[in-house]
Amino acid sequence: MRKSHPIRRFVLAGAATVSGIVLLLSLKPATDPASAQAAGGAAPPVAASPQGGAQAAGSGTVTGDAARTQYGAVQVRLTVAGGKITKAEAVQAPKGGQSDQVTANAVPKLNQAAVATQSADIDAVSGATYTSAGYKQSLQSAIDKANAAAGAGQGSGSQGSGGQGPGEQGSGSGAAQARTVTGAVSQTQYGPVQVRVTVSGGKITKAEAVKAPSGGQSTTVTANAVPKLNQAAVAAGSADIDAVSGATYTSAGYKESLQSALDQAGG
Amino acid sequence: MTTTLAGGRAARRQTMRRIRPRRSPAVPLVVALWAGAAAVLWLWWDNTPSLADNTAKILAAGRITGLLAGYLMALVVLQMARVPALERRVGSDRVARWHAMSGRYTVCLVIAHVFLTMWAYALQSGRTLGDVVQQTIDSVNTLPDMGKAAIGTGLLFVIAFISIGGIRRRIPYDSWYHVHLLTYAAVFLTFWHQITTGNEFAVEPTAKTFWYGLYGAVTALVLWYRVITPVRLNLRHRMYVEAVIEETPGIVSVLIGGRKLHRMGAEAGHFFRWRFKAPGMRFSSHPYSLSAAPRPDMLRITVKAIGDHTSRLRELKPGTKVWAEGPYGALTAQRRSRGKVLLVAGGVGITPMRALFETLPGASGDITLLYRANSTQDLALWDELSAIADERGARLMYAVNSPDGERPDISAERLRQKLPDIDQHDVFLCGPPGFAQSVYEALRGAGVPARRIHHESFEM
Repeated sequence: MRKSHPIRRFVLAGAATVSGIVLLLSLKPATDPASAQAAGGAAPPVAASPQGGAQAAGSGTVTGDAARTQYGAVQVRLTVAGGKITKAEAVQAPKGGQSDQVTANAVPKLNQAAVATQSADIDAVSGATYTSAGYKQSLQSAIDKANAAAGAGQGSGSQGSGGQGPGEQGSGSGAAQARTVTGAVSQTQYGPVQVRVTVSGGKITKAEAVKAPSGGQSTTVTANAVPKLNQAAVAAGSADIDAVSGATYTSAGYKESLQSALDQAGG
Repeated sequence: MTTTLAGGRAARRQTMRRIRPRRSPAVPLVVALWAGAAAVLWLWWDNTPSLADNTAKILAAGRITGLLAGYLMALVVLQMARVPALERRVGSDRVARWHAMSGRYTVCLVIAHVFLTMWAYALQSGRTLGDVVQQTIDSVNTLPDMGKAAIGTGLLFVIAFISIGGIRRRIPYDSWYHVHLLTYAAVFLTFWHQITTGNEFAVEPTAKTFWYGLYGAVTALVLWYRVITPVRLNLRHRMYVEAVIEETPGIVSVLIGGRKLHRMGAEAGHFFRWRFKAPGMRFSSHPYSLSAAPRPDMLRITVKAIGDHTSRLRELKPGTKVWAEGPYGALTAQRRSRGKVLLVAGGVGITPMRALFETLPGASGDITLLYRANSTQDLALWDELSAIADERGARLMYAVNSPDGERPDISAERLRQKLPDIDQHDVFLCGPPGFAQSVYEALRGAGVPARRIHHESFEM
């Protein structure tokens, strides 16, 4: 039964909390050590999927990596025939509560769009921003795997289907003339931005953000800005694109990482 | 002479065999609390690679305060879940003080979280600190589950406001209590935005599972111990008022009948929260200690008429149905670690002491009761106490004001003089806060170690 001192306790608790938080904040570096390292090195190679090797350049199914969204995981499976996407489906999609309706509405549209555009550069379905973003991410991963499998098949040459000499394309990570290059990570105040471009015949055929700010308001900003920036990059064929309004920092980071990717692709 | 001594020793050995002091689990619980807080901070640490500038730092501070507030919110509810380990072993009074303390701290964290997060969002959108209000409105409108969170936070602020000391004293207890129950709604409403917009939970399924587990466990404990357990208790024992007895002017005893009352797990020193199904008393429950050891067919509480509720007790009709929750409280024989015990009661604080005086095992001369009251007329239950003292060979002392109103001297010297081996005693103390404080200091001065002074105080 010690005497209580409410005011002293209040001041002590406040001071301890504030100094604890300030200490935690000051211990965090200004730039991400992991991504700084990645930025210094070359673009990470796109891993060839082991099961894809058997389906080189022919037909088969490829399953993309699962993309986590805040409502649940999205995972896309593609059926590829003759180098074209003939079917896209979601093997995982958000479920439960409102997500059931959203998924039922959005996934068929996304599947159609993927087949129609033959790329991950599809529009988000309105009202299903997060699911669309996850879908696109997993779709891209599936396309990358399919490409890698095709490249590996050609690289080995044993199938003899293409007749192209091994090593002619230099990089094993691209299918046909396409090459995927990932730019350096650009640090923005809301988080890292990293751009991957697919370059084919000297042109950007696809641009996407492999890293973008997320969490709280950033998720909304990213969902809005990144698709626009991707389109703009493909349209302009360079890093000279306009910033998306309301996403100044993300746009700047995007342009920086895009430029880095293009430099690597050119060099 | 020899025989009595031997008999005394044998009796004491007998007593000591039954004394198994149980340590309060307060220390391990507090360690678990800090470990949990560290785990929560680690969630943030692990999920944040870097902080580029001041906006990012403000946002991070907002997230840390939010995470801690979410964590503590669950614990604040847990503290009021009437979990027996907390109520009976740590002590209801101590847990209630923890609840009040951590509740205040949590509300401060919530204020910091809302302000810092909205400030950071405003800066992110190219606004300034002055636009925080506008930013808050925008965020509530656009982000998932933020509408609910805003309502919940509003409720939380109302609850915090009416719990401020000065304001709480002006509000009738019942109204205050019923508004306070809205905390459950507030916690429910604010939970969802943590999951959907919380950076740590949106991207990390393990963290989300941990959070659901924490809140799920607390919900289960609240349902079990605040709803199901009391319902079962009352269905089983079906209590009713048997009689109301006026002990002294202003102090009444209520005798409560029922079925198999010895099977309630109640001991001397415990209290129940009582609700009498009579006009004006139906919707509020009040904690009153048992003033006698429970009997299979009868419980007794003794209450001083000071408030609205306590005065109405006098008009209770026999047969009135009674709803009780309990037993609660840690001021029982389990706290005892020594053969000799001093019980100190101030005023109506005699109730649990009277029950302990009757039931604490002990040989002749082991148990002493010191009873403080304003005058000899105010010594409620005195006849019973004398009878118990005679029967058990226990010592009974009282201290009242002298006829000119002068307070009796309860000082370290006086205690030592009356009870030379006072430092060998366990002391149980119950009384008004000022009295308890001064007796506590006198006891410490007389050489009783703090760990052997057991008291219960419901002042916050």
